[in-house]
Amino acid sequence: MRATTTRRGRTRAAFIAMTAAGAMALGACAGGSSGGPGSDSTQAEEGGDGDGVEIRFSWWGSDDRHQTTQEIIDLFEEKNPGITVVPDYTDWGGYWDKLATSTAGGDTPDVITHEERFIADYANRGVLADLESLDVDTSEIPETIIDGGRVEGTLYGLATGVNAYAMMADPQIFADAGVEVPDDTTWTWEDFVKVSAELSEAAGDGVYGTQDIGFNEAGLSVLARQKGQSLYNEDGSLGVDKETVEEFFQIGLDLQESGGSPDGSRTVEIQNAGPEGSLLGTNAGGLGVWWSNQLGALSSASGNDLELLRMPGETEHERTGMYFKPAMFYSVSATSEHPEESAMFVDFLLNDPEVAALQLTDRGLPSNLSVRESILGDLEAADAKVADFMAEIEDEIPDAPSVPPNGAGDVQDIMIRINSEVLFGSMTPDEAADAFLSEVEAATS
Amino acid sequence: MSVMQEVAKTRGASRETRKGDGKAAAIFLAPWFVGLGLITAFPLLASLYLSFTDYSLLESPSWIGIENYQRMFDDPRWMQSLSVTLRYVLISVPLQLMAALGLAMVLDRGLRGLAIYRSVYYLPSLLGSSVAIALLWRQVFGADGLVNQVLAYFGIEGYGWVSHPDYALGTLMVLNVWTFGAPMIIFLAGLRQIPAMYYEAASIDGASKLRQFFNITIPLLSPIIFFNLVLQLIGAFQSFTQAFIVSGGTGGPVDSTLFYTLYLYQNGFKSFDMGYASAMAWFLLLIVAGMTAVNFLASKFWVFYDD
Repeated sequence: MRATTTRRGRTRAAFIAMTAAGAMALGACAGGSSGGPGSDSTQAEEGGDGDGVEIRFSWWGSDDRHQTTQEIIDLFEEKNPGITVVPDYTDWGGYWDKLATSTAGGDTPDVITHEERFIADYANRGVLADLESLDVDTSEIPETIIDGGRVEGTLYGLATGVNAYAMMADPQIFADAGVEVPDDTTWTWEDFVKVSAELSEAAGDGVYGTQDIGFNEAGLSVLARQKGQSLYNEDGSLGVDKETVEEFFQIGLDLQESGGSPDGSRTVEIQNAGPEGSLLGTNAGGLGVWWSNQLGALSSASGNDLELLRMPGETEHERTGMYFKPAMFYSVSATSEHPEESAMFVDFLLNDPEVAALQLTDRGLPSNLSVRESILGDLEAADAKVADFMAEIEDEIPDAPSVPPNGAGDVQDIMIRINSEVLFGSMTPDEAADAFLSEVEAATS
Repeated sequence: MSVMQEVAKTRGASRETRKGDGKAAAIFLAPWFVGLGLITAFPLLASLYLSFTDYSLLESPSWIGIENYQRMFDDPRWMQSLSVTLRYVLISVPLQLMAALGLAMVLDRGLRGLAIYRSVYYLPSLLGSSVAIALLWRQVFGADGLVNQVLAYFGIEGYGWVSHPDYALGTLMVLNVWTFGAPMIIFLAGLRQIPAMYYEAASIDGASKLRQFFNITIPLLSPIIFFNLVLQLIGAFQSFTQAFIVSGGTGGPVDSTLFYTLYLYQNGFKSFDMGYASAMAWFLLLIVAGMTAVNFLASKFWVFYDD
């Protein structure tokens, strides 16, 4: 039977198309921008009457960290009957979306894990409590580390631990290629480029000297400090000049042109693949810059005994550039209904040796020195190496860089994009430096 | 009055049927309306309001008029995101529809096991916008991926396709074309509606297969083509997942996969600029609505309704 497409059929088809079109078009804007204006009322905590107090603790991380943290929470609840800690965790990518939306909804977690590139955003908008007005014992934490959590003088975050941005090397790859591991107390940026090219050449097919270094502004920060500058000034403005930024991009280009690092598209791909897919992790490269706490993951991925080296250029310019970065911060919400209990929990997290015995260096090498001391014996080989390295460079670090300003969370994306432009040849380092400075200026103002 | 009573009453009193029907319907529809209001309409209106404000998510919004809308036209990355999205839509949607129609015609010949083929070819449509497939894509088109391994067999050295600015968008287009299943099913149903006698008459008159395709199939199928076109265009404008996963959320390399929705997301949730993001969302609505309107107007000239 033939179905006659009648008048009715026509209107129906048009109607279906139109409804579908309308619904999807509406969906287009609903999808990206849900979330109304923030309300002032915080949700009433359950069990507020009597002795039961409930606080919420948010953090990001992997499954391992979630399990350990749950054990830590259990321990806290056991030691402090009457206080319940509600876990609130996601992976790193979803964490900031979730924190921003729950804050907008007036439902900020009581104890918040924070990060240096985002803390100013929250602190300047009145979301975080002044920790010095709360009862948290900080006597065992060095002053330079505490200061890392200050935004315009007020303490909004206490560092869980510290990491350093450092060069990691695979001695096995160097040995196989017959190239000597450079002396990290004297090497310059030029030496770094040279030895990478040499290693690529000697190691043969598929093995490179180093992974590209231009995907993290921490590297630029180190170079700037070596030249007596600073990525950000105290007041949040840019403290690095064009020449330095250009030099930084030039190093990346030199590495690529000399064959010391892979071509643009492979570099981008590896950069997206994390420690497990990195050159060091896959035994396909001799060097790479990483945060010190990643040594464990890199070592187990590669199966080789990796080593930590100082960044190049530490003795080349005016001063040393390496620094301790607060791994994470613990912050307390300014609108928390239970600030005292929240402070008790933060105090427990930072100062209780049993907490450290559970999490070891998962939240950075503990900032509390006596706690750090207490776990040194329990550390695995890679983490022990990190602890030794940090102790070794401690005396060479004169000061801490200031907290990145509002909007600093965007800077790494800007860095990645502009560095790619350089590596794919669509920008010269000179143009890249101009673009970087103006974009960062716009993002952080 | 309870629902049951209401229903019973409508059944009995035929004179009041119209009025009673309305009430019962309203009661049954109420939950859906509440959902529509809270989950769709309220956020929609809120975002319209927010698009005229400076809103960081953490502070209350402050009214700034049309500044957000003006800002778009001075924003080179916004231009880039629009250009990426337009290229993606205008190239991948026609290709996808051609693939869908082509395959639908092959399947329409009444193959044995048609149901199986139909399901198999429909599968990518179900999976296409998922995270898993985007991850798979990243592997397949990676520097050491399947594509390069096949190319290496022929002695060609490929790139890391998804991480090269000249090719990354292309791989996403291929992904979109690959999800031709949904329009294919609709085409298949449309082809079944075309009476066989037209083809019989045409072949008796000596019309070639090609002629039959252009003079019978295409005109009679044009309402279906139109429907698919409208739907796929709108869908393609909203693509997000693929680019988000393949580029690790950056839209890279060098913004080559910076879809409009991805840039919108970055502004809202990474730069805490919800006002600007809302304005972008409403501008996208305008673009999509405008495009759909043009589509409907143009349809008068090529869509044939067999009255």
